[in-house]
Amino acid sequence: MGNLRTLLRLAWRDAWRRPLQSLFFVIGVSIGVAMIIAIDLANSSANRAFTISTDAVVGKATHQIVGGPNGVDESVYVQIRRELGYRDSAPIVEGYVRVKTLNGQPMRLLGVDSFAERPFREELGTAKIAGLNQRSFSAFMAEPNTVLIGANVSDEYRLPIGESLEIQVGSYHHKLRIVDVIASENRRIRRSLKDLLVTDIATAQEIFAKIGKLDRIDLILPDAPLHTTALEHIESMLPPGARIESSDARHGAVIEMTKAFRLNLTALSLLALVVGMFLIYNTVSFSVIQRRAVIGRLRAIGMARGEIFAMILAQATVLGIAGALLGIGLGIFLSRSAIGMVTTSINDLFFVSNVREIDVSALTLLKGGLLGIAAAMTGALIPAYEATRVSPVGTLQRSTIETRTRGSLHRISIAGVAALLLGAGTLLPDWHLGLTFLGVLAVLVGMALLTPSLMRGFAALAATHWLRRKIPILGNMAVRDIDRTLSRTSTAVAALMIAVSVIVGVSVMVGSFRMTVERWLTDLLGADIFVSPPAVANSQMTEKLDPDAVKLFETFPGIARVATARSVEIDSKDIGRITLSAITRDIAGEKRHYKSAVGNHAETWDAFRSGGLIVNEPLANRYKRSLGDTITLLTDRGEVPFTIVGVVYDFDVRPGAMMYDAVYRNYWDDPHLSSAALFVQPGVDVDEKIGSLKSVFGGNLELVIRSNRALRADALAVFDRTFSIFIALQMLAAVVAFIGVLSALMSLQLERTREIGTLRSLGITRGQLARLTLLETGLMGVIAGLIAMPTGLVLAAILIYIINLRSFGWTLQMQLQPSQFTLAFVVALVSALLAGIYPAWRMGQMQPAEALRTE
Amino acid sequence: MATSHHTSLKVSEVHKSFGSETRSVEVLRGVSFEMTQGQQLALTGPSGSGKSTLLHLIGTLDTPSVGTIEINGENPSEFPEPRLARFRNQVIGFVFQDHHLLPQYSVLENVLIPTLAFKRRDAEIEVRARALLEGVGLSHRLSHRPAALSGGECQRVAVARALINRPSLLLCDEPTGNLDRSTADTVASLLFELHQAEQNILIVVTHNLELAARFERRFELVNGRVEGQAGQV
Repeated sequence: MGNLRTLLRLAWRDAWRRPLQSLFFVIGVSIGVAMIIAIDLANSSANRAFTISTDAVVGKATHQIVGGPNGVDESVYVQIRRELGYRDSAPIVEGYVRVKTLNGQPMRLLGVDSFAERPFREELGTAKIAGLNQRSFSAFMAEPNTVLIGANVSDEYRLPIGESLEIQVGSYHHKLRIVDVIASENRRIRRSLKDLLVTDIATAQEIFAKIGKLDRIDLILPDAPLHTTALEHIESMLPPGARIESSDARHGAVIEMTKAFRLNLTALSLLALVVGMFLIYNTVSFSVIQRRAVIGRLRAIGMARGEIFAMILAQATVLGIAGALLGIGLGIFLSRSAIGMVTTSINDLFFVSNVREIDVSALTLLKGGLLGIAAAMTGALIPAYEATRVSPVGTLQRSTIETRTRGSLHRISIAGVAALLLGAGTLLPDWHLGLTFLGVLAVLVGMALLTPSLMRGFAALAATHWLRRKIPILGNMAVRDIDRTLSRTSTAVAALMIAVSVIVGVSVMVGSFRMTVERWLTDLLGADIFVSPPAVANSQMTEKLDPDAVKLFETFPGIARVATARSVEIDSKDIGRITLSAITRDIAGEKRHYKSAVGNHAETWDAFRSGGLIVNEPLANRYKRSLGDTITLLTDRGEVPFTIVGVVYDFDVRPGAMMYDAVYRNYWDDPHLSSAALFVQPGVDVDEKIGSLKSVFGGNLELVIRSNRALRADALAVFDRTFSIFIALQMLAAVVAFIGVLSALMSLQLERTREIGTLRSLGITRGQLARLTLLETGLMGVIAGLIAMPTGLVLAAILIYIINLRSFGWTLQMQLQPSQFTLAFVVALVSALLAGIYPAWRMGQMQPAEALRTE
Repeated sequence: MATSHHTSLKVSEVHKSFGSETRSVEVLRGVSFEMTQGQQLALTGPSGSGKSTLLHLIGTLDTPSVGTIEINGENPSEFPEPRLARFRNQVIGFVFQDHHLLPQYSVLENVLIPTLAFKRRDAEIEVRARALLEGVGLSHRLSHRPAALSGGECQRVAVARALINRPSLLLCDEPTGNLDRSTADTVASLLFELHQAEQNILIVVTHNLELAARFERRFELVNGRVEGQAGQV
């Protein structure tokens, strides 16, 4: 114990003696930890918000009977309850609505049968509906368009009983009168009530145009051994198109959808800590070099190698803990921005999610903190080992370490090649996505290990071919200085190289992705005008388009033809839930690019009209389906296999398929439409026509009427929003790399204090020293930029051809733009030059005599 | 710069303190002396007496707290930084106790470093560097790095480096302090020989009384003051 205290005291004093270096260490760890925590909190808060909201409305239901796009017929419920005698059953009609009165926020509207609710959602208060005061209860039961809201919502928006809420579902607006408020002692329930409106089931059926239909029937089935019998019993009486499934499985599948998205974010959030480890290595290494005399004395008075090792690790741990604590605070702060970005993406891409609170989980904080401390200790391992090699007379010299580093260069390079091969071996087979990210890490580590050799090569080339001609004296000195301190300069260059290569990789990937999507949209959006009802979120395109509007489009002056689509969520026995679009014509026409198809465009379209299914690439890739395979869909006629006749490029994150409209109507009893695409007659001005359409519908029916140009711009805006968080994460990693270079340069400058004194005593001016420093850092930046370009390109290829394909099933075409590489090179050079300014200034400020006195 | 016929050094009532105003330590307390071209001086005294500090002040590496140091009739502490650097480069040569050679450069390059600052590197300079290195007996070691040389050899390189620009003042801070007796004698003899040849002002700080005895003039610094003078004034 005494020993530990001594070790910690020594560690702490050393950290305190070099406050700036210690500060850099702490900042490096804290940014890394903050990024991990911010993303983890954002991910888990989004999940938890969805789970809390879902748990509240699922209540104690063990199973649900669900149907097709139009749900289950009410008669099924009657049959289950009356004929089969399952009293623990409750009908539900639900959906998302936009509440105009509450600043347009999306809320879940739950339609319940108050008499059936008791066993299911007691905590939610729906079971207490019967216990409402007589007047409220009568109003809720007897009056249409009445609603219960959470007491917290009522308080927050000052909406007392009797006030009305204006809600919007698709194009339609409704007014609901508040007849009572629901209060709960349970915190989770209170949270779920913030996003929940409860109405009588008849009101919900009317609002969602589902008269006579139910979205699901909740059931509480008995435990084993009666469970199986009950399941079979119910299954046997279900009509075609309906099926029973466990509540957990259904909602787990929704969360599962976002898994790849979350994993990509998590992987990128780890980047700063990886870059930070280079900074930690440098700082601890510097500390060991500076303290070699002290370490030698400690060895001389009897301290064992193990204790020296522990002392260095203790120092890293102390600073790591400080960094982790700071990072935890910063992470919680940053998570407020991250949650907004993550929620927007989830709403744009996956499902409606309304995340209002950050769930600060102790586990997340602990995990992030421990990762930071572990990174600090790992980064300190090699320098700590070096410290154990200090002899009792303190003879470990900087030059000894450098000589050793140069001597080990071939081994370091071999390790680099081995890491690259390991990366390739992990990346090429289609293993778990987590292993794929480990492969990416191996590639980055491999390139980092090759950096010292490459750096020597580049520096020698620069010295021979350029610097010698342009700036022979300073150039030569700069190259030699970099080479002389290779163990340190190469670590700083490697950190900068990794950060810049990630900038190159991500920007090439995002640029390629954007360009691919833009071209795809240009080809796909063949119609001139697109009409759809307003959606609660970009991911919700299943709202219903008024049939009268469609009729009007068909006869509207200047409109040549109309194509319609019905988008629905369909359950598939073998794939899960897919987005099915029933279309009357292919708006892309001849421009439709099939990844694979049964024939040319006309032949494929014929096969499609005959009942074939065209699936999107995410479905084909993720579920390993190709031409000729079948997908079994749950139709209103029962489970029907459909043959795949084409695979199209698509950049939805969800598995999707297209079906000919007539085929769809044949299998599903669904009269609705979701959107329409209008082709204007030749010579008709599209914007003018949009203006006329809006004036016709304005006031009567709310519709989103956009030109294909506007729709493309909106789609690209969603794209840019989605990637904004990735860009933010890579920038933070670049900040850590910058601090790494600054820290390394400052260390080098401090080590060279006497050398600077000598140079000044020989008449070298401050300006010349500053130029020397900036030349050195500039050269380091140039080398980092040069190595980062091929590394970034490899990273981009991995992201495009492996990560994206495995995460989301997208095929992207790599598009290289010189500006991406130029920018990355400039970032490397400017970062290095900026990092050199302060050390250069400090060098100039030092009195030569003072510098010469420094030990 | 060739040695001027008017080379002179005038140290007048020089004081030097370190630390803050409230906790200041006065290292030099009114040192005065003068020297002219071709003279040599040994500064002796116990550790902490201010010898190296005085040498740094004369060498323009630091400025006096009080008093003036005139070299060739000019007070360099009044010069702006670039002019001061040029002055230091061309008028003063330093030899330090532990040579201060730059490890990343060869012997020849180390000697040439002072010529790099003001673009005087030409064939003639390189000839002089080779000649100086031949003079100190190291013509066979031109391309070696300092790590490959002995302590005595390093110090001889440092002497050659100090003389490359033909300084008016050659300042040596314990030039033989780290050397064994035989090597120290060799380096000391070399200094005298070169001083004789270049006719500069030579000031050597040393603890070695035998070495000091070989100088025409000797000062002993005690507690920042000149306590004793010996030799020709």
